[in-house]
Amino acid sequence: MVRLSRLGLWGALAAGVLATALPAQAQEITVAIGSEPSTLDPQLRDDGGERQVNDNIYETLMARTADGELVPGLAAQAPTQVDETTWEFELRDGITFHNGEPFDADAVVASVARIIDPANNSEQMGYLNTITGAEKVDDDTVRITTSGPDPILPSRMYWMKMIPPAYAESGDIGAAPVGTGPYKFVEWDRGNQIVLEANEDYWDGAPEIKKITYRFVGEAGTRLSGLMAGEFDVITNLLPEFVPTVPNAAAVDGLETSVLILGTDNEVLKDPKVREALNLAVNRDAMVEGLFQGHATVAGGHHINPRAFGYNDTLEPYAYDVERARALIAEAGAEGKTVRIVGENGRWLKSREQVEAIAAYWAEIGLDVEIEIQEFSQYLDSLMGDGPRPDAIFVANSNELMDADRESSFIYHKDGAASSNSDAEMAEMIDQARVTTDTAAREKLYHDVFQKGRELSYTVPLFNLQDIYGMSERIDWQPRSDAKLMVKEMSVSN
Amino acid sequence: MGRYVLARLWQGLLVVLGVTLTVFVVTRLVGNPVDLMLPLSASAEQRAAFAQQIGLDQPLPVQFARFLGDLATLDFGQSLWQRRPAAEVVFERLPNTALLVAAGLGAALVLAVPLGIIAATRPDGPVDRVIVGAGLLGLSMPQFWVGLILIYVFAVQLKWLPTSGSATWWHLVLPAVTLGLAPLARLTMLTRSAVIDELNKPYVKTARAKGMPRRRVLGVHTLRNVAIGVLTLAGWELILALSGYTVVVETVFAWPGIGLTAIQAIQRGDLFLVQAIVFVIAGIIVIINIALDLLFKAIDPRIDVR
Repeated sequence: MVRLSRLGLWGALAAGVLATALPAQAQEITVAIGSEPSTLDPQLRDDGGERQVNDNIYETLMARTADGELVPGLAAQAPTQVDETTWEFELRDGITFHNGEPFDADAVVASVARIIDPANNSEQMGYLNTITGAEKVDDDTVRITTSGPDPILPSRMYWMKMIPPAYAESGDIGAAPVGTGPYKFVEWDRGNQIVLEANEDYWDGAPEIKKITYRFVGEAGTRLSGLMAGEFDVITNLLPEFVPTVPNAAAVDGLETSVLILGTDNEVLKDPKVREALNLAVNRDAMVEGLFQGHATVAGGHHINPRAFGYNDTLEPYAYDVERARALIAEAGAEGKTVRIVGENGRWLKSREQVEAIAAYWAEIGLDVEIEIQEFSQYLDSLMGDGPRPDAIFVANSNELMDADRESSFIYHKDGAASSNSDAEMAEMIDQARVTTDTAAREKLYHDVFQKGRELSYTVPLFNLQDIYGMSERIDWQPRSDAKLMVKEMSVSN
Repeated sequence: MGRYVLARLWQGLLVVLGVTLTVFVVTRLVGNPVDLMLPLSASAEQRAAFAQQIGLDQPLPVQFARFLGDLATLDFGQSLWQRRPAAEVVFERLPNTALLVAAGLGAALVLAVPLGIIAATRPDGPVDRVIVGAGLLGLSMPQFWVGLILIYVFAVQLKWLPTSGSATWWHLVLPAVTLGLAPLARLTMLTRSAVIDELNKPYVKTARAKGMPRRRVLGVHTLRNVAIGVLTLAGWELILALSGYTVVVETVFAWPGIGLTAIQAIQRGDLFLVQAIVFVIAGIIVIINIALDLLFKAIDPRIDVR
């Protein structure tokens, strides 16, 4: 009797444990991200950690598919242009914020007003700086105005998260976010974790995963360990060399493109032949394998993200041709001349290694190469300060808006913050492209700019880098090319 | 005594201000902090507006005077990175570091003294050799590496302990061991050599000759003389841990303490948070030094603390 009842008890216990533990586990995941969000206010900072959480809580008027195509989000359809500087958005009907506030034209107007308010000093204004205001037409219609013609306003609206106006006024939006998205905020135990739960009333259907716990682990080796120990289901920024180690990994072409900006007015590099030689000397395919274990793509002859609007796919990557490079150096009379290359260590994936490899390739064609790896703030001063331009400086440039304006204005335009050329004609083409609303004409302008940049070898385009995620075996997910960590697109097996 | 403490506190305040001024100047002169704080995509107007908003467009002396003025009311300014008061961030993270350091160094001190004495009682015996060998090993392994190895063995392979974080007491074990290992080795070695030295001194021979048991000689006379040296080193270890080692250990274990926060603040160019952290840590170190002096006086009345 005793034995039987004991067995019964154990059986009941086991059944109970199985019944409660398994389904709960299947619906909850733990995600390890590289840094704790600085704030959970979605409109103030340009912070990857903040986005990795808030992209699941907040939404934007325009969204992107996993492949990067711009589609309506909280807008009912793509916006229409009323005049050169005014865009009209129809809003989806019947959407409410997690606290019950309606999402309507007033919410859009308040969101726009808040983010462009100079007093808020939003770091996201780099993406939104043409926007001058928003006005309500009716409850479901809103007009957004820009300072000049702005062809990429729809893309910009994919960057502006919509906040609930009343709560933003009265609540602590930086500590307890309230959005319209598929997940609701539960708690933020500072330094330790953030927890979100599924929004069962989400307008596009409740997400499959019911609970997300975010952990903040800066050290790549520790993130990997946590994945291997079964503590984490998804980890970000897995190093390429760890890919074979993890149970499950997924990579996707990312937003970053690495490039060396050449000082085209400098003594040795003012000769286009030298600049072409610097390009031909680099064996990019070998670097893709050697440094990135294949997790990078050779840039197509210009340093623009291949999925960005304006990318010129008729331009070929530079060939690897040491003989021709040597000949060009000889023709230019640059043998033995000194070329100084500036880089940094650790901010971007393998940035120091890329600079060192390239310096070695350049030494092979008969140049005297000086490498200078600088501390980050000193490096930023070299990149964007007023001092003399380095012969070559490394940067990995991120294109969040998926538009060629980013890399053009920053690097090719002579007044760009990181520019090392003084080509007035090219600058004018870029200025014009920025305000041309005719899509085909605008694309043509960019194609021409990049053709010119390629012909005159203003830069040494390197790689479009992949984002790599490590995952536990039970996670099924294809990461997005816009680097957004959208948990609603993940599914959990078992 | 009271006057001594006041004088030391006054000197300490000058030291803390000196350190803070140095950090204040260096963070503003190496590169442009605004570039560090804003994304690469920020426009020139945005950068200028930001510099003006946080007062970086003012001359350095004006900035420092403002900083001191705010400091008088214990206001360290807003953390630019976390957009909340810097003092709030510091005092939120400081207890975590205090816990880690207390656990790591406390355990090291408690273990080091008996280990050192055991080793010293039979110099060059087998036990001594094992302890010395282990001590050398502990000294030669970089903390970063020790941390990753401990994670691999105890968290990934054996699954006894969590890899990182701070949610439970179990989370404290590996970071504390990592932090305490090298101090344990150094303190053991010092205790050992100090005890060996003492045991060879004439007073020990006299005590033994008059028939005092060895254990009593060791426990009453020798330890008191050894204590000053061991505590001096322990204080030094405490200072080293607060001013550097915790940065490494907290980074490896994602332990949300002041060391991890400091390195993140530096990377993000968060001047105000860096200043607040440096000020508070420097202040704590000054207080540790004064406390140690007073402790020495209590242990050894011959020490004059006027």
